Order: sequence, then structure tokens, then C-alpha cells
Amino acid sequence: MTLPTTLSDRPPRSHAPDGAATPAHEAIAVRFEAVTRRFGAVTALDAIDLSIATGETVALLGPNGAGKSTAIGLLLGLLEPTSGTVRTLGLTPAAAVASGRIGSMLQGAGLPANARVGELVDFARRLYPHPLARATIIERAGLGALTGRSVETLSGGEAQRVRFAIAIAGDPDLVFLDEPTVAMDVETRRAFWADMRRSAGEGRTILFATHYLEEADQVADRVVVLDRGRIVADGSSRSIRARVRGRTVRFDSVEPDPARLATLPGVSAVDIRGATISLATTDADATVAALVTLRVPIRDLEVTGADLEDAFVALTSASDEPKESSR
Amino acid sequence: MIAISHAARTSTAFGAFAAFVTIEIRRALRNRRYVMFSVAFPTGFYLLYTGVLASGASADSAIDGTTWGAYFMVSMATYAAMVAALSGAIVIARERSSGWTRQLRVTPLPAAGYVAGKLVVAYVVTLPAIAAVVIAGIAVDHVSLSAVALVQMFLSIAIGVLPFAALGLLIGYLFDADSAQGAMMVSLFGLAILGGLWAPISSFPDTLATIGRMLPSFRLADLGRDAIAGRGPDLADILVLAAYATAIGALAAWRYRASEQRASG
Repeated sequence: MTLPTTLSDRPPRSHAPDGAATPAHEAIAVRFEAVTRRFGAVTALDAIDLSIATGETVALLGPNGAGKSTAIGLLLGLLEPTSGTVRTLGLTPAAAVASGRIGSMLQGAGLPANARVGELVDFARRLYPHPLARATIIERAGLGALTGRSVETLSGGEAQRVRFAIAIAGDPDLVFLDEPTVAMDVETRRAFWADMRRSAGEGRTILFATHYLEEADQVADRVVVLDRGRIVADGSSRSIRARVRGRTVRFDSVEPDPARLATLPGVSAVDIRGATISLATTDADATVAALVTLRVPIRDLEVTGADLEDAFVALTSASDEPKESSR
Repeated sequence: MIAISHAARTSTAFGAFAAFVTIEIRRALRNRRYVMFSVAFPTGFYLLYTGVLASGASADSAIDGTTWGAYFMVSMATYAAMVAALSGAIVIARERSSGWTRQLRVTPLPAAGYVAGKLVVAYVVTLPAIAAVVIAGIAVDHVSLSAVALVQMFLSIAIGVLPFAALGLLIGYLFDADSAQGAMMVSLFGLAILGGLWAPISSFPDTLATIGRMLPSFRLADLGRDAIAGRGPDLADILVLAAYATAIGALAAWRYRASEQRASG
């Protein structure tokens, strides 16, 4: 006779899609079905459909206000969808959170005053049914020297490490990270992602929102790009880069005229930063040839292949409406 | 199967709650504001008013069928209990602003567990505050009370402080971190002064005294005075305090639910 599986039993983690021990309802860790969330007149998420399989590491990319934090808030039950269905680990978000199998780092989540770091780690462990060993948490979050410190005395990066410790304390199957490396120094950031990659390798599902495109590029199996509440791209970092087939034509100019530049042959997006103009183009040769005929003084002309950032800019600025519309 | 998973979840929720109460009590007792305003100040005021500043009168002079020392000990013990119970307001408002409550909501700690935990903490931190005043009364002013009277007084104030613990929750959910402290101070001093904790209500003009007698602060101190006078607890005091606790508790629950829905935005 086999014992029934309960909510708090740990499911075996496996990448194998046919792993017999993995209950069928958990093949999908995260699911949005036609999810819309409005805040007053603002539509933060607009009829989103998204499935994330158990074991995937997914980056959520998008400009500010694209709906990243709203998506994470919905998955954690902090928000209710205006319409549509959200499932986390096959459960309602509230039930999934109560089961203790989710860990999360929220954007700008404060830490309580008058608490010591070690105390918070102990507290976080006791919140979950199957916590990691204390020493493991402290080692993974790099808190060894900080356990006796009062929370008020921590730097921004140190506080972020404490938040990370809280996120992993319950040895979660599913981890949500909203801008996790903000305020971390380069070294901490590198160690953080190395740890996350190791976690992912053990079959955990990780969904993170970030502004840093190189993090998405290096860490995620899959990148979902949100823009104004819609998914504008979903695939591997490589496939998203490939979607912007063309090149970037970049040059310095004193008299930028975006309207005119946008009409050049092949140009799909125009980005102006100071004197530097970047044109995303599907036909660099034609673009450059036409650019010369404009008789605009240009310097430092270069043509490069698209990186993820170019792809991101192209994807999130190619829409029909002006960008300020969501404000 | 359902029964097992339900039991497993209940035990997780309970463990989470116990963990929360533990860290909250430690944090509260370590809070310098608490130690100063709830423990040191009321005791200091008590000693000042019954000693140095008691012009003519002394701790032994008679009032209301007892001594000034015993009478004012009850007043300041009540005041200390009020400060301690209300002090949660500032912490709750801060934790809501800082996003710590949001972080707790994405752990297995039940949302209601946070509120229940804060209430338990309000009760626990009240005890040292009352004790400090009582110890000063006995040790310094030689207030002599029977053990029964002492225990009755202590328990009356410690248990009867519920409306103030509820008021702490209400203020914590009604105000943001910047204004919670002001709101708490205004409530505290308003209730303490009008309730006759600083100057006996018998010295008030009639109208003011009538208002004062309707306040929970007066009723709480009155329960303590019943004890030191060797009377049983006054049923009217208990009913008034229970009514305040119910009404304020309902308001706090309403604000709590509203903030839960908004906090997510």
C-alpha cells in the first residue's frame, strides 16, 4: 500500500518529462490563462497566456510598467486577476504559498527593525515545513559574517542577501525573484546567479524579472518579453536575438531627426541616446546607402549584429502606439 | 488524504505562527522606544508624582479610600499598559510601508496570523510595563497590598488592556509610517488625561468628568482600583471595555481587509 501524496510532501525534482514520480498536475509550474489585470484605467496585464514547465528558468523582461511585477504579484496571490485564471504549482496562488513550496524575493521588500540577521534566518526556516539547514542558507546567501548584525546596520547589498536567504529558507520548488540583484555588487551578483543556476540544475523552477539583459541572456533557458501588458516575445535568448534578423547601424550625429531616420529602408527601430543614434535594420546595406544620401553629418559609423538588448529595444518599441501611452 | 494534507498545512501554519510570535516578542522588547516610553517613563512619572512632586501630600495621604501611593500606582500601571499595547501601531505602520508585511504574505504564515501575532505581542509587552510600576510602588513607596489584591489588580489591567491593543492595530492600519506616531500620541494622551490617569477624575468639572467616565482608560484604571480597595471587579467596567474592544476591533478588521486589498498594488 502506498501512502497518499500530501501537499507538504516533497515531490522529487527531475528534468525528465516522463518522470513517473512527478504528479501530472505539476508538469506545469506556472500557468496564466487569459489573465487581465487592471488598476483603474490602466491595464497592467492584457489577456496573457503563459505556461512555464517545472524545471524551467525563465526571465521576465520588459520596460518599467510592462507588467512584470504585476505578473509576479498574481502568481503569489498578492493580487487577484481582473479576469482569467492563474495557477501556481497547479494550485490557486494562495494555496501554493500556504504549502510552503514557493520562495520569493519581492522588489523593495523591507526587513523588520530590531531583528538580527541570524534571527531572521531562524524565523524564515520555521515558517516552512521542510527548510534547508541553517548553515546551508547562511553559506549560500553569504551571510557568515553578518548573523549577529542588526538589520538596520546592513548595506543595500547585504539586505538583499538577507532577502535571498529568506527566499531559499524553505527549500522551495518554485522561486520568484523580482529584480533580485538590484543593489548587489558585481561579485555578489555573480555568486547569486551561480547559486541560482545550481538550483535550477536540481530541477527547481525559477522565474525572475530583471532590467539587466545580460542576466537574462546568461541565466535563463527562456526569455519572456512583456511590453505594456502583453507578451511580445517568448523563446530562448538566442531565438529572440534571431528574431531581430538584421543589424544595428550606429553613428554619432549632431542633428538627429528620428522621423526621417525611421523612413530609411530596412529600419525597424530608432534609438537616440545623446548624440548616438542606433538604427535597428533588417537590411544594413540599404540603410547605410540611404543614410549617406540624407547629407546629415555622421561620425563613427558602425554596423553590428543584434544582441539581446537590440532585440529588446526593437521588440518593445516596434508597437504602433507611442511609449508614453501607459502613463 | 484530504484530512492528512489539511493537518499538515494546519501544523505548518501553527509552526509559522509560533515562529512569528517568538521573533516579534524579541523585537518588541529590544525596541528602545518601547523600553523608554512603556517601562521607564511611567515608572519615572510614578516616582516623581508620589515623591518629589507630591507637594504637601505624600505617598501615604488618603484618597478614594486608599493611599495616594497605591492610587497613583494603579493610574501609572494603567498608563504603562496603554503605551505598551498601543506601541504596536508604529511598528505595524512601518512594516506596511517598508513592504515587510508583503514579504510575510508570500510565506506560509497566514495573513490573519500576522494580526493575531501582533495582538499576542501587545499583550506580552504590557506585562513588564505594568510590573515595573508595581515594583516601584512596593519597593520605593512601600504600598502595602494583600497578595490577592495585587494579583487581581495586575490581572485586571493586563487582561483589560484589549481595547488598546485593538486601537494599536487600528492606528497601524489606518495611518502610514509618518503619521502613525502622531496619531498614537494624540490617542494616548487624550485617553490618559481625560480618563483621569494624570489627575484624579474627581477633580474634573462635571461635564469633563462625565466624558472621562465613558472612556476605556478610566474603566481600566477603575478595575485596578476595585482590586486595591478590596472590591470585586465592577461589571460595568468590564462591559464598557468589552464594548470598546469589539467596536475598535471591528474597525481594525475593516481597515486591515482594505489594506490587504490595496497593499498589493
